[in-house]
Amino acid sequence: MKIHKLRITAGIAVAALLIGAALAEQRLGSYTTQNTGKIVQAKPAALAEDSEYEMASLPSFDAELANGAGRAETQIYCGTCHTPRYITMQPPLPAATWEAEIQKMVKAFGAQIPQADAQKIAQYLHEHYTPETRQR
Amino acid sequence: MSRKDSKQTALISRRSWCRAAGAVAGGLAISPTIPSLGVNSQEPGATATLPTFTGPSANSYWSAVGPIVSEPQKAPLILLTDRPVQLETPRNYFATAFTPNEAFYVRWHLDRIPNAVDLRTWRLHVEGNVASPQAFSFGDLLRKFKAETVAAVNQCSGNSRSRLQPRVPGGQWGNGAMGNARWTGVKLRDILSAAGMKSGSVQVQLQGLEQGEGPEGLGSKYFLKSLDLENSVMDECIVAYAMNGEPLPLLNGFPVRLIVPGYFATYWMKCLTWIRVLDKPDENFWMKTGYRVPDTPRGTTRPEAMKAGGVKTVPIGRMPVRSFLVTPDGSAKIPAGMSVNLRGIAFSGYGRVTKVEISDDGLKTWKIAQLGEDFGAYSFRTWEFAWAPRTPGKYSVAVRATDEKGNVQPDETVWNPGGYLWNRIERQEFVAGNAE
Ligand code: HEC
Repeated sequence: MKIHKLRITAGIAVAALLIGAALAEQRLGSYTTQNTGKIVQAKPAALAEDSEYEMASLPSFDAELANGAGRAETQIYCGTCHTPRYITMQPPLPAATWEAEIQKMVKAFGAQIPQADAQKIAQYLHEHYTPETRQR
Repeated sequence: MSRKDSKQTALISRRSWCRAAGAVAGGLAISPTIPSLGVNSQEPGATATLPTFTGPSANSYWSAVGPIVSEPQKAPLILLTDRPVQLETPRNYFATAFTPNEAFYVRWHLDRIPNAVDLRTWRLHVEGNVASPQAFSFGDLLRKFKAETVAAVNQCSGNSRSRLQPRVPGGQWGNGAMGNARWTGVKLRDILSAAGMKSGSVQVQLQGLEQGEGPEGLGSKYFLKSLDLENSVMDECIVAYAMNGEPLPLLNGFPVRLIVPGYFATYWMKCLTWIRVLDKPDENFWMKTGYRVPDTPRGTTRPEAMKAGGVKTVPIGRMPVRSFLVTPDGSAKIPAGMSVNLRGIAFSGYGRVTKVEISDDGLKTWKIAQLGEDFGAYSFRTWEFAWAPRTPGKYSVAVRATDEKGNVQPDETVWNPGGYLWNRIERQEFVAGNAE
């Protein structure tokens, strides 16, 4: 589009020449290559005249948990009631806060996590999600 | 790319431009392939993306830092979590008094939320300590009751949680877990009267269609909230079937949602299906443990006090007064000497906003902004203010609101373990450039 607009007649271009230097200062047409595709446009749903009011299935996205020992346990036990994005969404939290969160999940919310796995998860969260350790 | 490299690119592009311009002067049309016009530089001007997380310091961005995603019946919104769904409304949608339905933020607690509701079988049940239990169809609500409309702000209790220091676990919202809409429906009192509350009733419990994976009896299975019958807000509650004159998006609570004007959104039950009159106070997790705030001025305390124990807590209630500068958002420079129209919104759960003020000198002096149309005590109130940076430099513009009860937004921070009630004065940085 920009390029197309620049197909200008010679007459106008002579005037452009006079301000050419100034235009150059404005960095015309700077582009960078980036990935598209995170946001897709939804196709309108086909609606029936019945009593059912529906929406499409909700999208789910990979939570991108850090690599390391305990990741699998975390993904399984901390991904049943909600996605592990509940972990990655948090700011870096002190180890004690993570311990308290695990306890809250078990005691208040009834998470069924074998003791050994709960310890592995705590260790994993300390190694990747505290102010000292969090990378991404 | 280093600074030196990018400078060089600029230089090259300048030279090739001159060459191109020269060609034009010679009577040729510029060909679309002239390289100088599509400078393939990474800097400056390349879009840098936000970090994937903020902390341990406060989130310094207006919004949460999540990616933008597309969800059913919604405009692209900021993703906090996908299961259950939590989406934040981007800043630009707050430039007007009413937030479009498709942009309205989304916050569920449990992961099994309805993808479909069949109105042939769906009923709004009124049960518990009542003389005659009722089950109203959607059509009943449309036909059998008087329709009421209220403009009211719905704000998540944890809106702006990512500002707290130290940070607390929970949804890491920026400022966009709020919205304002015109809600139309039936007065909760009219629905309760139809069932006839029996003596000894103390609370009304609300339950929607959402369910979780947790065991029976725990907060991870059902999300339940209750309001005291003696609370005066009971008279203002509406069971809303319309939002800005349209059916509610499923993600915002179709078929009906409870509207509790002035109160935080935790009570605004989505997909409301059971209204249960209780003869003793609700002790479920979401009342007894969740959504509680210290019984202190502004609900603020410190981690040390919490650790020491003995901080009395109460269920969260009304929303403290807040105001936001929405546009311009500081992403572009303002030429010095040029007057710009600062615009934003303000609201309070305690009543009408009566004053919005602006300070550009570090809160020393305040100037009064012009208020927009008054849509009622619980609505967003828009404001605007003509402001001009006099000389090039960095500016910090602060905005504060006052409500009809005399509550003034303070500059002190708030801290409580739930990350609720943040209402500190907001600031926006602006950079003024040289206009000469
Ligand atoms: C039995 C169900 C269940 C399991 C299993 C579970 N959680 Fe949760 N979790 C919940 C519920 C319910 C919430 C509250 C959701 C909300 O308010 O959005 C929650 C919220 C959270 C939060 C947000 C902060 C908070 O306290 O509300 C974090 C962090 C979290 N969970 C971490 C974990 C971790 C780590 C694990 C694995 C050890 C885990 N969860 C396993 C049910 C569960």
